[in-house]
Amino acid sequence: MRNRLHRLGIIVALVAMVFSLHGTPAGAQAVPRQLRIAVGIDADTLDPASQTTTTVINMIDYMYEPLVDAEYVDRPGEIKPRLATRWQISRDGLTYTFTLRSGVTFHDGTPMNAAAVKFSLERLLDPRLRVPNRHLVSAVKSVEVVNDLTVRITLSQPSPIFLPNIGGALGAIISPTAVQRAGDRFAVAPAGAGTGPYMFKEWRRGDSILLERNPRYWGTRQPFEEVLFRVVPDAGTRLTQLLAGDVHMSMLPPAPDVRNLRRNDRVRVVEAATDRTVFLVLNTQWGPFKDVRVRQAMNYAINKKAILASVLFDLGTVAVSPCPPMMFGGAPQAQDGWPYNPIRAKQLLAEAGYADGFEVNLFSPTGRYIQDFQFAQAIAAQLRNVGVRANVSTMDWPSYVGMILTPPDRTRVQSIVLGWAWPVLDCDGALYGQFHSTSHPPTGLGPAFYKNERVDVLLDQGRREIDPEKRKAIYREAQQLIWNDAPWVFLWTQKWYVATVRNLEGVRILPIEKWDTSNATWKP
Amino acid sequence: MGTYILRRLGLALPTLLGVTLVIFAIVRLIPGDPARIIAGVQASDEEVSRIRTDLGLTQPIHVQYGRFLARLAQGDLGLSAVTRAPVIEEVAIRMRPTGLLAVSSIILATLVGLAAGIVSATRQYSVLDYLVMTVALFGVSVPVFWLGIMLMLVFSVHLRWLPAGGYGGPAHFILPTITLAAFSIAIIARMTRSSLLETFNQDYVRTARAKGVRRSTVILRHALKNALIPVITVIGLQFGALLGGAILTETTFAWPGVGRLLVNAITSRDYPIVQGIVLTFAMIFTLVNLAVDLLYAYVDPRIHYG
Repeated sequence: MRNRLHRLGIIVALVAMVFSLHGTPAGAQAVPRQLRIAVGIDADTLDPASQTTTTVINMIDYMYEPLVDAEYVDRPGEIKPRLATRWQISRDGLTYTFTLRSGVTFHDGTPMNAAAVKFSLERLLDPRLRVPNRHLVSAVKSVEVVNDLTVRITLSQPSPIFLPNIGGALGAIISPTAVQRAGDRFAVAPAGAGTGPYMFKEWRRGDSILLERNPRYWGTRQPFEEVLFRVVPDAGTRLTQLLAGDVHMSMLPPAPDVRNLRRNDRVRVVEAATDRTVFLVLNTQWGPFKDVRVRQAMNYAINKKAILASVLFDLGTVAVSPCPPMMFGGAPQAQDGWPYNPIRAKQLLAEAGYADGFEVNLFSPTGRYIQDFQFAQAIAAQLRNVGVRANVSTMDWPSYVGMILTPPDRTRVQSIVLGWAWPVLDCDGALYGQFHSTSHPPTGLGPAFYKNERVDVLLDQGRREIDPEKRKAIYREAQQLIWNDAPWVFLWTQKWYVATVRNLEGVRILPIEKWDTSNATWKP
Repeated sequence: MGTYILRRLGLALPTLLGVTLVIFAIVRLIPGDPARIIAGVQASDEEVSRIRTDLGLTQPIHVQYGRFLARLAQGDLGLSAVTRAPVIEEVAIRMRPTGLLAVSSIILATLVGLAAGIVSATRQYSVLDYLVMTVALFGVSVPVFWLGIMLMLVFSVHLRWLPAGGYGGPAHFILPTITLAAFSIAIIARMTRSSLLETFNQDYVRTARAKGVRRSTVILRHALKNALIPVITVIGLQFGALLGGAILTETTFAWPGVGRLLVNAITSRDYPIVQGIVLTFAMIFTLVNLAVDLLYAYVDPRIHYG
């Protein structure tokens, strides 16, 4: 008996130990040789021309560089030199002449020069290559080599957003030799192709992507010899790996854990606003939503601030305009967003003949936007207070896109949750694809089926106008019209966030849902 | 024996053909346009239709199926719609981690499950029996993702003994193997216990005891060998399930296995990959079933195939 008690004592002590022991924080050591980052998804392709997904672009950004960079944080919208040091734009806006940075070599040792630029940009126009965002460069008519370090690009029509459009992964300058050598394997093993601070080393499909430091990099030398992106689809596991010290940074840990993480002194939550607006689409050609008063009532009925605080853990900011103010042309319409006023909502509904409310379908994806299905239910509860009976349901993302792309006569869309962001911080991207009448499904992705002839004219003008001040005025007017027509319930712009170990300092979040470790340092 | 194996393999062909037909139809019935999903929501229409043509999706469905079969006959499963790499290559890369995890789990499950079952059966209605069966009940009921996260919290976050997921050296195998094996351990233990208890009541066991044969010999030689047939069936089924159904474990532990590839392929509407994986699973199940049948003959000489 004594013996048994004794044994029990040992077991209890062991269990207690298990739960009391805390290992040392992940990086109480010197600079790690390898920076390990847990990401939510694996790459589909490493070819910069074929990119569709921000997180994958975020990873390949370590390897490739475009001619110019768009500045996102300090002076949003400014275009900065990268592989091009200078550029001149002809007065008619049709010819761009770039002077290239001299002495830059690709990872395979070949020189980065005008011929490589011509090769890389013309490759984007090759119909045999899969380039989902080819439309961003469709204005390019020709690319000429002027001399070894000078390139002239001619456009078929002036484009105020041409520079930012080639300032991303799509415009990456890659080594013709490396592309040729890799052949069919380029998308899975792009060895030697880039000029960036890190070089491709290995891609273990479904597991990890490993990069090594480029010893000949022309820019700032990076503190880590290698960068490893580890594919960890489960948000809870990404957080666990960070807490266990297996990785130094995790993208998007579970939203409900963020409040606690902010108080945890072993980790750092880095968060920032993005240009992703999250909204409730109202099909303006369906039943009650044909009446603008009903659509406005929907906006009055929802308390965005309360939902942000209680359902989104403050991972968002109330939307104040159809195009977020951080984007070029963004013009705030109301200081704190559309006011919450259920009494006004009821009045408007009564005026429109819906004093007793109505029934409506509300679809939401699950796991696509922060707390999406959860906040959809909160919205339904608030709509009930003004008599609108919303039935919430969800479906997987491809089916969801399929539903959005259904033409108006067959669409199931009455009200749906959607998010819209654009890699270039310009209102053209934020507005055209949602509010121009050519963007109606099935050819576009604007499921509100919104049509306002004046807005159409303005959005077309915005695409051609080169004078920045005139463009701003154009977008200001368009946003005012859209705001009052209320084809959406304007909800919020969501934040983007990562968690890092304490030692990793200087990680930034870019407003286009990316992290940036290019200025990060390690504090032992 | 040889002709029996050949005949069984021959019979598998129509089964596999049926599988191709069903899976081919089903993936095309799920809503969502693969070309649009692959091109990304911001792609232009021309690009989407170009990709659709690329993938052969503009042809009538029976033509698509015919082409698929013709290529399959030459051992060609086609290219992944997303990565454009051969399906065989994509599946093979991801089959290895899944296979290794399934093998380590079934070994653990068989060893622990058999041992627990024997202990339980030989000490029926003892405290130990109740304890083992309660733990087994826990094993069949606990959700895999919860068990996985709890193991990681204790052994990775608090103790820092083992890595929190990821694929790598032997240490990486420990937690996912335990997590994946938990259910199978429980099933095998319960099956072993009940099957053993049944044989304990048989005359030959009593006779063996009466002859004065050692207790351990009676249990392991006389009783266990006869009790093993249903246990082997269960182990075989479990192994098939472990190979194909480790999706939750693979997701929780960031394991680059074929289960996750399948889920990703479904959500990205990568038809060729889905077809390739389901076909591979069907083949594996057929082979495992055959192996189980052959094992019967080995364990019980009264069974023979000819």
